[in-house]
Amino acid sequence: MVFKMIGIVKRFGGLTALDHVDFEVGSGEVMALVGDNGAGKSTLIKTMSGAHAPDEGTIEMEGKLVRFRSPQDAWESGIATIFQELALAGKMTVVDNIFLGREIRKPVLGIPFLDRQAMRKRTGELLQQLDVHVPSIDSWVESMSGGQRQGVAIARALNMDARLIIMDEPTAALAVAEVRKVLEFIKTLRTQGKSVVLISHNIQDVFEVSDRISVMRHGRCIAVRETAKTTPQEIIGLITGAHEVRAAAS
Amino acid sequence: MASVADTRPALRFVSPTASRELALIAAIILVCTVFTVASPYFLSVNNLVQTMRAGLELSIVSAGMTLVIIMGGIDVSVGGIVAVSAIVIGKAYQAGLPVYVVTPLGLMAGTALGAFNGFVTTKLKVPPIIATLGSMYIFSAIMFLVIGGAWISGLPGTLSPLVNGWLGFLPASALVIAVVYAIAWVLLRKLPYGNHLYAIGCSEPSARLVGINVDRTKILTYAFLGLLAGLAALLYVARMRNVEINIGTTIALEAIAATILGGTSIRGGVGSLLGTLLGVVFIRIMQNGLVLMGISSLWETVIIGSLLICVLTADALRNRNNPRAQ
Repeated sequence: MVFKMIGIVKRFGGLTALDHVDFEVGSGEVMALVGDNGAGKSTLIKTMSGAHAPDEGTIEMEGKLVRFRSPQDAWESGIATIFQELALAGKMTVVDNIFLGREIRKPVLGIPFLDRQAMRKRTGELLQQLDVHVPSIDSWVESMSGGQRQGVAIARALNMDARLIIMDEPTAALAVAEVRKVLEFIKTLRTQGKSVVLISHNIQDVFEVSDRISVMRHGRCIAVRETAKTTPQEIIGLITGAHEVRAAAS
Repeated sequence: MASVADTRPALRFVSPTASRELALIAAIILVCTVFTVASPYFLSVNNLVQTMRAGLELSIVSAGMTLVIIMGGIDVSVGGIVAVSAIVIGKAYQAGLPVYVVTPLGLMAGTALGAFNGFVTTKLKVPPIIATLGSMYIFSAIMFLVIGGAWISGLPGTLSPLVNGWLGFLPASALVIAVVYAIAWVLLRKLPYGNHLYAIGCSEPSARLVGINVDRTKILTYAFLGLLAGLAALLYVARMRNVEINIGTTIALEAIAATILGGTSIRGGVGSLLGTLLGVVFIRIMQNGLVLMGISSLWETVIIGSLLICVLTADALRNRNNPRAQ
């Protein structure tokens, strides 16, 4: 397993948002995380990405115990989270965004000048690798479509050598063709041996790209299913709690 | 793949659209034409060079202000920094210190006061407009307490050649402005530091997320503005040979006006040094031309103020239908 969480508990005052959650992602695996609103998905990914510190439980990344005090800590361990708001600087170019905080430098007399040439070349390679098409690597990210910005955000994660990429509702609010593109990105990441956690409300998307599905309900991870061996009906039943009703009835 | 043509923003001195710079150049040509027709004195070498010398301190301070505003900050206390630095310089000269001691002393005083502003806004988390408003009061109080309404006068003009001198047919003050803007341009466009400034101005949380040391970058930028304010104080003393109580009273607002007129977004994330320089040129030419035409200088402030409102309204209208513009 690339990434493993055991017995994670997170409380906000009297509310237990995460109740002894176990969660793991294999190498080169796309793990979908589904659940109703308020099931604890957001809290769980914030714990993975370093935005929240868990009250109890342990997190392992590539076999090493880790403790994140900030999102930067998680980035440095190789976990990149692509948030809904994407955290891109809208009024900066694709190149500048991809290399933000990781600029390639070409020191002259000890002054760390930017090596734009090298950054542009690497940006071209990254976008090609992901098959992202942007109008120009010199255009503002703000002027691009949702799918293109997803692509840029993923390219940035790859550039930071992320091994686990967490995507929070990447297909929400995208046009149909763009959704296709983002799902392609996820498949590309898998073929390159990257692990992906996909949070989505769209069961169809989840079944198209995921290898396994974790279902959350009431702050607990209640089931993990292999995508090939389950059905959308079963997953929806787990999300809504219909199986509990059936179990109680029988 | 996208064309690797020479549209590289790295090489641009101007903003990505360049529309504001072009509009300002058109406006400058327009007012120059009007003033040339209205006054025979306007288009003379003597008058233009005098105008530039009068704009020396403003243009220097505005370069630093551009960096601060691109970063999403603001500094209304910069006039106070100029005043306090000028007092340090004046007192040091009076104490008989030589120019090669006074100069670094003046620059250091400005840098320290700028860094103080940066410290208050980042570490004490006071919004920059409030923090620098506070320090503006403190700095002007210091000035009153030290010189108490009197002038420090009869100062040596050792540095006067920087303001009044000529290098062949090139006025030395033009050279000073060019050097300051060249340094600011390298910082803004050629170093990672500049990219970080734009990123902080675009979105501070995302800048933090990618590991940029936001607090350090901010303090450095306020300190750089302070350094330029210290330089402005040195040149002011060289030009006037005295320190008086009104020093720096208008420079903060003029620098902010020039920066905003020049296309830098008050919300941060966008801006160019060329725009700012053109903004300074425009403001100073307006002032000079109106004086030559015998119009009260109060009208100049009315015109600059109205232009600012027009520019900001136009920006707001353009962004109204763009949900991504905050």
